[in-house]
Amino acid sequence: MAFFRKIKVRFSSIYHDLEALFRRIPAIPRNLMVTALFLCAAYWASSILISHTGGENNSALVFVLAVVLISLLTSGYFYGIAASIIGALCINIYFMAPYAQFSLTRAGYPVAMLSMVAISCVVCALTARVKKQAVEAARREKNTKALYEMNEKLNAEKAAIQLQSEREAIRGNILRAVSHDLRTPLTAISGAVSVLLSSPEVSPKNLSMLTDIKRDADSLIVMVENLLSVTRLQDGTFPLKKQEEMLEEVAGDALLTTRRHFPDCHIAMDLSEDILYLPMDPLLIKQVIVNLLENAIRHSGDLEHIRLSLFRQEDYAVVEVRDKGCGLLPEVCQAIQAGKPLPQSLSGDTTRGMGIGLSVCQRIIKAHGGFFAAGNDPEGGAVFRFGLPMEEHSHE
Amino acid sequence: MSEKQTILVIEDERSISNFICRALTANDYKAIPAYRGKEGMSLFFSHSPDLVLLDLGLPDTDGLDILAQLRGLPREVPTIIISARDRESEKVKALDMGADDYVVKPFGVSELLARIRSALRRSDRLKLSQGIQRDVYQIKDLTVDLARHQVMLGDEEIHFTQNEFKIIELLAIHAGKVLTYDFILAHVWGPYSSSGSNQILRVNMANIRRKLKENPSDPKYIHTELGIGYRMLDD
Repeated sequence: MAFFRKIKVRFSSIYHDLEALFRRIPAIPRNLMVTALFLCAAYWASSILISHTGGENNSALVFVLAVVLISLLTSGYFYGIAASIIGALCINIYFMAPYAQFSLTRAGYPVAMLSMVAISCVVCALTARVKKQAVEAARREKNTKALYEMNEKLNAEKAAIQLQSEREAIRGNILRAVSHDLRTPLTAISGAVSVLLSSPEVSPKNLSMLTDIKRDADSLIVMVENLLSVTRLQDGTFPLKKQEEMLEEVAGDALLTTRRHFPDCHIAMDLSEDILYLPMDPLLIKQVIVNLLENAIRHSGDLEHIRLSLFRQEDYAVVEVRDKGCGLLPEVCQAIQAGKPLPQSLSGDTTRGMGIGLSVCQRIIKAHGGFFAAGNDPEGGAVFRFGLPMEEHSHE
Repeated sequence: MSEKQTILVIEDERSISNFICRALTANDYKAIPAYRGKEGMSLFFSHSPDLVLLDLGLPDTDGLDILAQLRGLPREVPTIIISARDRESEKVKALDMGADDYVVKPFGVSELLARIRSALRRSDRLKLSQGIQRDVYQIKDLTVDLARHQVMLGDEEIHFTQNEFKIIELLAIHAGKVLTYDFILAHVWGPYSSSGSNQILRVNMANIRRKLKENPSDPKYIHTELGIGYRMLDD
């Protein structure tokens, strides 16, 4: 078997070399040229043989060899068959008595000539098949190689993804566990401080410190909630806990929560005329609204004119948070439109908490198949807006 | 009532239990802490408190079992559930089993106190009425007259559909208590109505809200418990 394969390989390599050489010449002249060349060579060889050995039978074999080579080097059956017929005529005319003339008179000759043509044809057909198989084998080998390489690549990618997702899962689990464990002590701290704050025995000096503790504990609680949501989103294995919800109830709840954290702010809420009842994860959407409101409170510098509006826009239920404050920097707008995290320089101290809050919001909305936009009101102030599809999309 | 009202706090996290007890004492209640479920039950029988604060995630017993035991007693004691955020279904189950209200960790002291006041008021009212149902309920300037089938907002009568009125009636009778979607659905549309969707209730509620000019961000009469149900305010 190995020997045959070697022959096959050699055949195909010879074929490839010659093919590369001949490729520049158009097919028909090339084939004609090959045919003529080998027939001439056979004629020449036969005339040498006949003058030296005198035997007539050698010439037939020489011509059959020529036909084999011709059919090997030309495309299709035509040239091989033509060469075998020409060869038979040639032998008849030049290498058999009576020389230099066509004759079928010699006893047994027609059978010999016919059998030579037949052998030549069969050889030619076989050669063509070998050629075809060589091409096929080469092609198959190429495919196999490509498949193998692709398989290797896929395996490597799969391993990388698996590792990545495992890492993510571990990170998510740790984060979630940490957040859970943070929540109870934070509730206790915040609660204990508020008990102290309302007790009459606290001196004014301590009062301000306690207020600081309370504020920090509360902002940590918000951060822990954000972290929990992110890890829930990152899991992937846990799809959104979607259920049909009345948007105004979710938004109202969000506003009540925000008001509890910031008792001094004034936020108005405009209800939609339409009833906005749509599928969502209510806890996550509530968190988005809380984040946007807190954003407005922290960064706009105007606590008096924050407005939360709900309305329907085509197939989306839209929530909009507007303030009349200092507006957004163009970089921030661009980053949000592009769905990128905020630049480091902007999410630093000056915009405390904003970076994580907004990226969480965007992820949550994206997971719902909705849109998220931010911009400036020409009359002053920033506008944040997100829309959720009214109907469940079927793509997931 | 000169005597202090007693509140049993069944909560295993000491830090949380401590500040709740401090807050209760500071607000003129008598607080009894219990850190285990069994301990809680025995303290319940020895002190017969006016209200129970119950954490659902206790180490020794399931909070829901304790709730079932409390509900099995002849004397009805208002119960407020303390729950973690991710135990939504447990919360709903607890409310359906007869808990009055719930707070979710992390919760604020003022929120907790408001809920305690509301639940105590409700239980006082039940004690006074001794099971006799009233005909007229008053919530701020909203009057619900069950006998005349009439709802007045100030001096103005507001017209509701049959089902909308039934919802308001149910909420008014249980004012101060959180009613779950399933509870309201079963009482207004019949026990086999819900079939997994509460859209009909939610849409009715949205209409009621519009008729009462009620904004969910500043509820005057009906408070929304997100994902759980509704509660008529009573103060």
